[in-house]
Amino acid sequence: MRHRALYQYNDVMKHYMQQYKFNGDYLLKGVFNHDLIQLIDNIDKDIVVPIPVSHYTMQTRGFNQVVGMLDGQTLSDILSIAASKKDHQSQFGRRERMNRQQPFALNVSSQLIVGQRILLVDDVYTTGNTMYHAANLLYQAGAKTVKSISLAR
Amino acid sequence: MKIENLYGRQLVCPKIDNNLGESRSAFQDGICQRCNQKIVAPLPNDAFYCRACLTLGRVSSLDNLVSLPEPNHFSGKVTLSWTGTLTHQQQKVSEDLLITLALHREHLVWAVTGAGKTEMLFPLIYRALQQKLRVGIVAPRVDVIVELSPRLHAAFAQTDMVTLYGEQTDCYRYTQLVLATTHQLLKFREAFDVLIIDEVDSFPFAGNDMLTHAVNNAVKVCHTMVYLTATPTRQLRKRINKGLPVSYLPLRFHQHLLPEIQLARLNKWRKKLPKKFQKQLSHLVESNKRFLIFVPKVADLKPVHDTINRWFPKMRGDFVHANDKRRQEKVKSMRNEEVQYLVTTTILERGVTFPGINVIILGADDEMFTENALVQIAGRVGRKSDCPTGLVLAYVEHVTLKVKAAQRQIIRLNRLGEKLRESM
Ligand SMILES: [Zn+2]
Repeated sequence: MRHRALYQYNDVMKHYMQQYKFNGDYLLKGVFNHDLIQLIDNIDKDIVVPIPVSHYTMQTRGFNQVVGMLDGQTLSDILSIAASKKDHQSQFGRRERMNRQQPFALNVSSQLIVGQRILLVDDVYTTGNTMYHAANLLYQAGAKTVKSISLAR
Repeated sequence: MKIENLYGRQLVCPKIDNNLGESRSAFQDGICQRCNQKIVAPLPNDAFYCRACLTLGRVSSLDNLVSLPEPNHFSGKVTLSWTGTLTHQQQKVSEDLLITLALHREHLVWAVTGAGKTEMLFPLIYRALQQKLRVGIVAPRVDVIVELSPRLHAAFAQTDMVTLYGEQTDCYRYTQLVLATTHQLLKFREAFDVLIIDEVDSFPFAGNDMLTHAVNNAVKVCHTMVYLTATPTRQLRKRINKGLPVSYLPLRFHQHLLPEIQLARLNKWRKKLPKKFQKQLSHLVESNKRFLIFVPKVADLKPVHDTINRWFPKMRGDFVHANDKRRQEKVKSMRNEEVQYLVTTTILERGVTFPGINVIILGADDEMFTENALVQIAGRVGRKSDCPTGLVLAYVEHVTLKVKAAQRQIIRLNRLGEKLRESM
């Protein structure tokens, strides 16, 4: 899968993420807004899909850091975090579990996804695991193409 | 988390989590219950968070503040491992403080720089610890706390204590003795029986509503509060006139007078540091003297350091400012005599002691240097009994009232000190 990142995940970016995402200073959401939307505009796609955060994160951090950064961009909220199945998990090791488990679920019927060119957006791309699972789910639902971008890698 | 870590604390906990302890909503009428400010920024879904105390970790409307009453679960066993002796005047002040403790009062100690304030506190702290009271020692500036910490560890070797500032906060433990910056008090609630505030006049505490709230919120209803300063603000002086009990100590512990500020003209020093200045420095360099050069602005640091480096390439030096990542490290290398001089902003104006140091102030008439700041800077010099004098040279383009006032303040204190010396 083709992935593009705007910036390297260096010390400056780390510091930004620390302040914005982990310390929750939501006012910093606009810092890279223009750059991200410009990148999105230059990519062929039908819909733009942010990587979701869990219900718990919404109740503690209070925001989805990707949605925050994309203020002004039309987003399709078609992914959510799947409720975890604790009993099922315990039979695998942690690493295996990470690889096998599909963390996402579809919010909408797959009919709406069939034939769509989808652009996934995340804040930081690390192992590629997140994007892999999200793309997998969308391809299974009939997406035509799935591309991905992130603020940093 | 250990339940005792909540004693006298107020910690942020998401409402969605099961909260240990007693919880209350983090906001009331949009006012942050941790810092008492109403400076909020919005979150999605009508939630919001406080920007005033954000540096201590975010408080939002999705959170509770959780707390447990401070139970004084301490043994009362304490040994004073300090073996020094107090001068007659220090002894008097420390007796005043023991009375203050007995009466649960407020008290101000107005002691000149280098009077040995910390040592005067030992009897008070010792007795409070014996009485199983919880004792907090705070100062607005990190440097002051960092310097105090080892001295208290040495004096109360068997007492468990934590030192809290900036990023250090994750090492919090429930201890009878707490050293912290005043900001850290925002994480306490009715915790301290005794609170000692050092350098009470110094930025950013003076006149700061948030920190005033933090102090009042961190002490128990019945408490003893001690303020320490060498240069009280006008506000504090007014409170003295209205009856705030005060102990004066106009003489340094080694009984020598304060070094007075010498004035000299230095025009357009920012453009090009004049030969006159180089000459003055070469006196210091030739006699192997150690010195601090104070400059008004961060932007002045590097040019001044570079010029000195060009003039005296063999001499090692460095420059330091408030947001310098290697600030502690640089101060340490000055203390260890690995460098001969530091060019610095006002951050080193107080709380730090370098034996045998001399100071030069460039642009002393700049607005960055207040009257009290200049007195504090002069107070860096001659603090050790084996080296009780030194140079305090203030360079100005114009002689201002403020510079004159600083000079006069020191002369006045020295007059009081002289009288005290004669009466002994
Ligand atoms: Zn606040």
